[in-house]
This record gives sequence, structure tokens and C-alpha cells, in this order.
Amino acid sequence: MEPSRAQMIARDLLAVLVVAIFMFPIAWWALSSIKPYSAIFDRSGPVYTGFKPTPDNYRVTLLGVSRVEIGMEQGGEAAGVIKGGANSYDSRQSLLDSAIIAVGSTALTLLLATLAAYCLSRMHFSGQQSFLFWILSQRFMPPIAIVIPIVFMFRDLGLRDTYTGLILVHSLINLPLAVLLLKSFFDDVPREVDEAALIDGATRWQTFARVVLPMVKGGVAATAVLCFIFSWTEFLLSLFLTTSIRTVPVKISTFVTSTATEWGYITALGTSAIIPSFIFILLVQRHLVRGLTLGSLKE
Amino acid sequence: MSTATFTRKRSGWALPRFMTAEHPFPWLAPITVMLLVFGIYPLAYSVWLSFHKRNVVSRQLDFAGFHQWARAFSDTRMWHALETTLIYTFIALAVQLALGILIALLLDTDRKGYGILRALMTLPLVVPPAVTGMMFLLMQDGSFGVLSFYVYALNLISPAQPILTQPVTALLAILLADIWQWTPFMVLIILAGLRALPKEPFEAAAIDGANGIQTFLRLTLPMLRKVIAVAVLIRGVDLFRIYDYVYIITAGGPGTATETLSFYAGRIYFTGDFPYAATLSLIVLVVLIGVSNLFVKLFKVRF
Repeated sequence: MEPSRAQMIARDLLAVLVVAIFMFPIAWWALSSIKPYSAIFDRSGPVYTGFKPTPDNYRVTLLGVSRVEIGMEQGGEAAGVIKGGANSYDSRQSLLDSAIIAVGSTALTLLLATLAAYCLSRMHFSGQQSFLFWILSQRFMPPIAIVIPIVFMFRDLGLRDTYTGLILVHSLINLPLAVLLLKSFFDDVPREVDEAALIDGATRWQTFARVVLPMVKGGVAATAVLCFIFSWTEFLLSLFLTTSIRTVPVKISTFVTSTATEWGYITALGTSAIIPSFIFILLVQRHLVRGLTLGSLKE
Repeated sequence: MSTATFTRKRSGWALPRFMTAEHPFPWLAPITVMLLVFGIYPLAYSVWLSFHKRNVVSRQLDFAGFHQWARAFSDTRMWHALETTLIYTFIALAVQLALGILIALLLDTDRKGYGILRALMTLPLVVPPAVTGMMFLLMQDGSFGVLSFYVYALNLISPAQPILTQPVTALLAILLADIWQWTPFMVLIILAGLRALPKEPFEAAAIDGANGIQTFLRLTLPMLRKVIAVAVLIRGVDLFRIYDYVYIITAGGPGTATETLSFYAGRIYFTGDFPYAATLSLIVLVVLIGVSNLFVKLFKVRF
């Protein structure tokens, strides 16, 4: 039985409505980031339109303009804007910190994970299943259970509050996903490919690096994107392991102070932080489900 | 004779068998070292800590046997946090699964424009959870939050008792953030499962005159069993160790009403009582291992 035209339109409307509901928090967030102070804190009701859009929140968080300068530009409103403590809202360093850590941990994860994934896909050895299960079990480790000792360990090793330290722990958390996901991509390449290369005189390393790896580059890219996004969005470990290096999620959480919650700056930095994630995730749509299920479901 | 020397020399210099590329060792050694040093060693350290006690005078850690564990089991705040975590996990899982199935069915069509809707549905997944927490904090603020405004307008809640100040609504506030961010996870996985289903059984069912609901309950759902099991396992584990939203949205409040186990452990850590914090964090781990192993066995999940 074919659905009627009216049923199809009803379905379309419902689908659009559902997706719109899910988009609302993001839209409200982005809208808030260009609102002046008074529109954000309007107690009489939600402000959708009728305010004068301002780039000031972005100027403070992304360009490092001081809030005093902006207060002076605005003259009369200055008194209301300048209160709220001496917290630094210039977030350029945080964006850089987050980027360094995300790129570093993605690179380290891929390096270790491609080796392990190729081996687990191609070789057979006793204890292989247990090894895989061990790696998987690391994915299920609650960060809180390892972070406390890591704080002490990093203090002794001088890794506390360093890029290296955070790169290492973000890699640790990303490794299970990366290994299982890459293994599933290697499994897609027939073993005959390896055998042919080996017969032609290539060594095992050459077969891996020059023959098989290039064949799964789409999968490696998808894995890299997921690792990057994870590191970019990670909160708990960064919060516990750093004091002066502040990744973006941790930096944002410091904008909530006992005297004021600076929603203008929070939404501006938050919007800036989610845009790269959105671009990246749209690039790897094709492999997303495989990534989310650690390689166990293929599209 | 010279060749013999050559061969002997070569074999003398060759790498031991386990170091060659034909052996798993060189491939797996780097990751193993990494997981041992930063995964297993800290875990062992946590266990060690959980059998010690801070000596306030000497500032040393003294061996204390099961002191911390006994303390945890008689700590009503721990039991409350465990209960909150379990309630949180079950409600979030149930809602996310139900909504995930419904939305996946809604979006599972080849009609024009639905590709864009499916792509948009993935966006919440990549918002940093700390930012998600902030989004829902902003929307649920007692005096200027957009969501609070509509909830007041509909007379669901009195403005005198803002969302985040009451135990039940504060927990719902965190759940809402979680449901918003992770329902798309279920949607995507179930969509992929739906797309991979064979066509024939559905054609047969249609010929036999099965209606939509019958087809869904008797055919679609059982065939999606494996997919759903994987999704529930991964989501369940993440839910049970929830920290970020609680930290940002309620900080465990009002009082300790919305404290989850991970959050309680973190809070103890920040008071400086590391042995007890480690003990609490191990309870998270132990419950997680127990429940997830049971689940894997019951539903025969394979990776």
C-alpha cells in the first residue's frame, strides 16, 4: 500500500520538526553569541530578534580585545559590562593549546594504532582474542579511575600541565577506538593483496606501508577525524591534569565564576569551538557509524 | 668456506625471531607499552591507594587494609550517588533508545532532502560535552533561560522553584542535555542497521498482509537485535561514568541530589583525600565491569 500524498507531507513535516528541535540548542547558542549583554540577560522573555547584533563577544575571546576597551567604546553601558572579576577571556591561547594537543594525540594514536591494527588483522597468534578484548576493555575504563594516579605519575615525571602529558592521555583514551576501527578497515582488504606483494619480493614492512596502508587511507582519515574530535572535546582529563594549559572545554568552564557567568564570552568561544567539529564530522559521514560502534557495524 | 663464514656471520647478526616483522611483537609492542604504562599501572596504583589512608600529621600514606572500602560501603552519600547514577543511566538509555528507533524510522527513506536531515542529526554528537552542559545551563537558567521561560509559561513549574534548584528537575535538566547529545548516536546506528536489512522478508510480510506495527515488532526489531545490543552497550558504559554534564550543569546540586558516582569521586579528589577518591572511582569500574560483562554474555555482543 503506497502512502498517500497527505501522509508523505505529514511525514516530511514531522521529520523537519524533529530535526529542528535538535538544532534549536545550537541555534540558540550561536544566536546568543552575537547578542549584546542586555539581550542575553533579558528576564522578560526570550529574545529572538530585535536586538542589535554585536561582534564584541568574539572580539574579546578570539581577538583579545580587553573588555575595558569595549566598555569605553560603549560609554554609558560600561559600568554594567566591566564587572565580573579579573578572569582573562582572551581564548586564543586555549584554541592553540587544544589544537596542539588534538593534532599531537591524533598523530601518536594513528602511529601506534595502524601498526597494531594491521597485525591484528593479518596475523594469527595465541591469545589474539584476549589481546583484542584487553584493548577493547580500555575503551570502557572510566577516566576517573585512572586520572587520580596519573596526576601523581605526571607530577613525578614532570608531565603535569604539559602538552606531552595531555597528548599521551588523550592517545591512551583514543587507542582502543582507533585500533578496532582500523582493524575493521584492514579486514576489508583481501589477504591476497598482501600475499601477492610478498611473492613479488616486498618485505612485510613494505607490504604494510606501501601496499595495504594506501588502500585504507579513507579509513585512516576517518579514524583521524574521530580521534581529533574526541581530543578536541575531552573535558575530565584535561581538567585534572592541567592548570596553566587550558583546553577550550576547560577554559569555557572557567567563565562561570562566583560573581558572574559570562554568557556572551561562553557562547562566542563555544560557537568557535564547535565549528571545526561540524566541518570535520560532515567530511566523514560515510564512516561515522563504523566509528561510533568501534568498527563492529559497517555501512 | 668464505660463503659459510658469510652465512654464519649473517645469522649471527640477524634479529631474534620475535623482533622480525613476521612476528606480532614489533607491531604490538608500542601500544602494549602505552596501555601498560598509562592504563594498567594507574589502575594498579588506584588499587594500592584504596588500601591506604592519609596520615594528616606525617602527610604520608599509611597502610589501612580495607578501611576505605568499609568506609565506602557505609557511606550513605556513596549509595545515593550510585543510585543516582543507575537511575540516570536507565532513564537516559531507555529514552535515547526509544527516541532513536522512532527517529531512525522517520528518517529512513530515500526521498529528497532526508540526506540533509540525517547529516544535521549528527551535529549534536560532536559538540564538546562541556559546551553541551553550558547550552543547557543557559537555556535552563532560572531567570533568563529560554526553556525555563516556556516551562513557566505552560505552568509546569513555578518560577519560585527554578529547574536547577529542585532535586528532581535538576536531574531532568542533566538528562535532557544527555538525551539531546546522544539520541543522535542511537539514530545513526539504528539507521545503519535498518539500511542493512534484507528486503525479502519485508516483501513477504507485506504479501501476507502484515500491518506496519506487526512488521516492526515481529520483523524489524528482532533483526536489529545485534545492532541495538552494540549501541546499548557502548552508550550504557558512557552513561554510567557520567561526569561532564553534572560538573557543568548542577555541580551535584542542589546539595548532593544530582551527584553521580564519578562526580562524587572527583569531588573527594578535590578535597585532597586521594585514597578515598581512588576507592570510589574503583567502585565505578567494578560495577561497570560486572554489568557490561553480563550484558555481553546475555546479548552475545561481538566486536
